[in-house]
Amino acid sequence: MAILKKKSKVSDEMSSAGMADIAFLLLIFFLVTTVFPKDRGLRVVLPEEAAEVEVSQQNILHLTVMPDGIVLVRRGESPDESSIPPRQVESLWRTEVAQNPNLIAAVRTHPEAAHRHMIAVLDALQLARAERISLQMLEE
Amino acid sequence: MAIKGGGGFERQSKTSSSIPESSLADIALLLLIFFMLTTVFRTEADRPIEWPDAEATEQIDEKRDNILYVWVESDGSVWINDRMVPMGNVADVVGPAWQQSGQRLIISLRADANVPYQYVDQIQEQLKAAGAVYVVFGTELERRMTRERR
Repeated sequence: MAILKKKSKVSDEMSSAGMADIAFLLLIFFLVTTVFPKDRGLRVVLPEEAAEVEVSQQNILHLTVMPDGIVLVRRGESPDESSIPPRQVESLWRTEVAQNPNLIAAVRTHPEAAHRHMIAVLDALQLARAERISLQMLEE
Repeated sequence: MAIKGGGGFERQSKTSSSIPESSLADIALLLLIFFMLTTVFRTEADRPIEWPDAEATEQIDEKRDNILYVWVESDGSVWINDRMVPMGNVADVVGPAWQQSGQRLIISLRADANVPYQYVDQIQEQLKAAGAVYVVFGTELERRMTRERR
């Protein structure tokens, strides 16, 4: 029975020296593969339902976003309309709000206009620190 | 000062200067378990949309449980929690979630950059009907450098 007498020379203890390496490998794997959720965007607070308020026309700056991205600007009740590219809305708002601190931006978007055109105007208004913004759809 | 004959410093401390390697594995495992426990895996898949760019994009610091993602694809289809929701039923899905969150639910509205605005408007009407008023329009941060000078 020579086979039974044969003793293995391999140690049956687990090597603890390699443990740190294994653990660090796993650690690095988790560090690299972890994806942190990105929650980024433009914050708005919608008006509560049936909470419509009457606002004097003098305090409204009408911004109409057309399907090609051009913004039509109209002040209050005045019939004059001017068209500007969205990136000029920021400077426009700064000059307008300096004259009238109670100004409200009424953004009306054409139903066929791409979402990004509305975002471009909203972005410009938020960069200009506009706080009172109303988002509506243009009704024919 | 313990300067002696040779002009050299003599070691005073009896503490070994080597880091004990035997505890290294414990430290690594501790970190590993910490990361494994704190990692939050995404519960829903991202919809394929083109993000609109905005310079004013801000980070939303809110617990994931309090954020509901509403996706609007370029064809106007609405997806919530990996399921397509007909436009008319958005309020029925959002309403209970709004109540459950203690009325502090944030809607992350992730609409495709090219979707016609009428779909986004309909979503907003549905959200108002459900009472969910805190909305974040999902955007990608636009770097000022990439934009033409004003």
